[in-house]
Amino acid sequence: MSKTRYLALVLALLLGLFLVACGSSDSDSADEPASTSEEAEAPAEEAAADEEMAADEEAAMEEDTAASEDMADEAMGDRVQIRWFVGLGTGTDPVQIEIQEEVVADFNASQDNIELVLEVVPFDAAKDTLSTQIASGSGPDIIGPVGWGGSNAYFGQYLDLAPYIEASGFDTSIFDPELIKFYQTEEGQVGLPFAVFPGAMYYVPAMFDEVGLAYPPQVYGEKYELDGEMVDWTWDVVTEIARRLTIDANGYTALDEEFDPEQIVQVGYEPQWQGISSIGTFYGGPSYYYTGEAQGEYEAAIPEEWIEAWRWYYDGMYGDQPFIATGPLAGAPEFGNGNPFNSGKAAMGLTQTWYTCCLGDLRDAGVEFQMGIQPISADGETHGRIDADTFRVWKGTQHPQEAFDVLAYLITTGGDKLLPTYGAMPAIAEKTDAFFEAKGADYPSVTPESWDVFIQGLAYPDIPSAESYTPNWVEGFARLETFKGLLANTPDLDFDAEVQKLSDDLTVIFNK
Amino acid sequence: MFEELNKGLPSIPSLGSYRRLSPIKKHEMRQGLLFISPWLLGFVLFTVLPIIASLIFSFLDLSITDGILSTPQWAGLDNYIQMFQDPQIWTASGGTIGSIWITIRFGLIALPVGILLPLGIAILMNSPYLKGSMFFRSAYYMPYIVPFVAAIFLWGGMLNPETGWINRGLLWLGLPRDMLPGWANDINWVYPAYVIMGIWGIGNAMLIMLAGLQGVPTELYDAAKVDGANIWHTFRNVTFPMISPVLFYNLVLGVVGIFQFFLVPLVVNNGTGRPGGATMFFNLYLYKTFFTFQNMSYGSAMAWLLFAMIMIVTVFLFGTARYWVYYAGEGRS
Repeated sequence: MSKTRYLALVLALLLGLFLVACGSSDSDSADEPASTSEEAEAPAEEAAADEEMAADEEAAMEEDTAASEDMADEAMGDRVQIRWFVGLGTGTDPVQIEIQEEVVADFNASQDNIELVLEVVPFDAAKDTLSTQIASGSGPDIIGPVGWGGSNAYFGQYLDLAPYIEASGFDTSIFDPELIKFYQTEEGQVGLPFAVFPGAMYYVPAMFDEVGLAYPPQVYGEKYELDGEMVDWTWDVVTEIARRLTIDANGYTALDEEFDPEQIVQVGYEPQWQGISSIGTFYGGPSYYYTGEAQGEYEAAIPEEWIEAWRWYYDGMYGDQPFIATGPLAGAPEFGNGNPFNSGKAAMGLTQTWYTCCLGDLRDAGVEFQMGIQPISADGETHGRIDADTFRVWKGTQHPQEAFDVLAYLITTGGDKLLPTYGAMPAIAEKTDAFFEAKGADYPSVTPESWDVFIQGLAYPDIPSAESYTPNWVEGFARLETFKGLLANTPDLDFDAEVQKLSDDLTVIFNK
Repeated sequence: MFEELNKGLPSIPSLGSYRRLSPIKKHEMRQGLLFISPWLLGFVLFTVLPIIASLIFSFLDLSITDGILSTPQWAGLDNYIQMFQDPQIWTASGGTIGSIWITIRFGLIALPVGILLPLGIAILMNSPYLKGSMFFRSAYYMPYIVPFVAAIFLWGGMLNPETGWINRGLLWLGLPRDMLPGWANDINWVYPAYVIMGIWGIGNAMLIMLAGLQGVPTELYDAAKVDGANIWHTFRNVTFPMISPVLFYNLVLGVVGIFQFFLVPLVVNNGTGRPGGATMFFNLYLYKTFFTFQNMSYGSAMAWLLFAMIMIVTVFLFGTARYWVYYAGEGRS
């Protein structure tokens, strides 16, 4: 063989190897979308993910993939395959994956028309993976559990379930009608209630006892006793008692002249893990915050009530009589690194059912907490908030009826196993007892009256949701959170100028 | 301006000149092209095509979730027009400033530190009076070989406002607790915190400057000494001109690095722009626009703006080089 031919052969082999390498990575990504995306996103994930958790997730997901493959092998005859995508919300914890696999196995054993296949993708990689799948026309049939925020990035991609509800005769009377309305959007009936997280005012009775204040009411419509008078449980009252409950290192309250705001050791109120739109909704009521029908015509329309709410929030941190922890204070270890109520440094915290996830430190420290009702706004109404997770059907599915059948199973029969592992309150009223029994076991000092506040809270959904869709929602919501960060971290802020700038920015964002 | 960069490089033959080559030369050329073809293939597939694709995307209205079979709409210059009106890029004042100004503000702090500190250390390293210079050189260079993300995590721990060694040290020195910097969680301290993290990686620049300093002919120093020059005069009239090409090189790389600043805010503040949007650097905003906000077209337009800005600044720096960069033996002053 001549030297040239030898060289050409070697190079051809090298080129072949190169192309094979490219080819195999492609086929890997087709077979295992979850793990490949995970690797691609690894640098970004390293930032936020707890490594141990990520390792657990990875191991569990490998098992999941293997289990899915086994199931595929065992698939009988010509069953319709329905893919269930988990990752945009809860459901990626190893324990949760195990339960989800059980539910899949139960479903597959329960009938012989559909083969349900579980696909779990880590949260940090889920959006990219789902986007890629949708972009390539191979989106999953079922997506969830997912909340409003998680689903908004895919607005326009969900199937209107109304025709399938009607065709299958699915009994929607098992849900509160308000919760059915909750999922009616411009896209139609995009979901059915599954897991709900109503709001309540968490409080620490001992802190109220210390300053001689009555506890927040626990039944909607009840009044609050303040200085011997029965008054409505309004935001003004909450503000007043929050100031009395805010104490500095010298024992002065925020209402005392000697109070030192630099040495706060306890705050009266904390909007525990609430976004800026939630703060606006709780205080001022639910509202859309844009107008316009098409790109180029959208305009930010921040409701005045929300602006008032944000002014109140800012004044609560940097005003003369503060009662909310500033960003740096809330982020300090003494205040629980961003979890002030759990640290035992906040007397009240308005948040949802899901916050029962994260009160272990408070319980273990032997601090009792209870729940009161959500306050009344200036318009005389109680504007509650309900976070809600459910399953969606991708509108590009080839098998919409079968996908709906699976969805119906997941939110009813499957929910019995799924809801406890998601730590979620069932939207089906008759199933809530079991949920609160389990919660009661976790927090023995919480009274049945407190748990009942959540059930009452189901009557106060925020319609539209504080996380409802806006054009270019992900960027718009990120901009709102930047504004919240600015409020929380900046003394002497030109509040009105920043609100105007927020509004201008949102208009630009909505029209991108 | 770039002609000196091309000096000494073989020129690419035209088709006409190729025909005039001898058979042996032609044979050698074909073999050479064959050898570099894997790289060329990779370069075309993974660099040239994405560059062209991003340019095309920037004139379309395209989102990641648009299906593969969808027909993207032609947007013309809309993305560029919108970009030049985007307050999240250009706002220069107030609490939430635009990402360009965030980048420039940070650059004004980070760039002098990134140039002068390695230069100062290199001068110390070059001192004949320094004992154990090999040890110090290794010690200063060693952090550079630590993976950057690992270093950022490490610094994130050290700069933790409550538990980090730095604030604990400041407390021990008697600084009141309420005056301790909040570092990456504080709007006023986040840039200094990032600069401190960046100091970790100055080993490479220090080594390049040290090489430049060691290349200065000693007879020039001897002549300066004979002329009665003091340390400052020697530095100003001998050292600085002689190492100016090295400084220029580091300056260009530093400016490009500032425009592309991305990894630190992504890791330390999770790419959220926290605190209060102060860390939404232009490149991070670009990344988020493309992948998080899924607006591929707008993200592509931003990428081309970034390219244009880097190009303009680099050309400007090359333009100034004739006034302060001294290339010995090339007739430049």
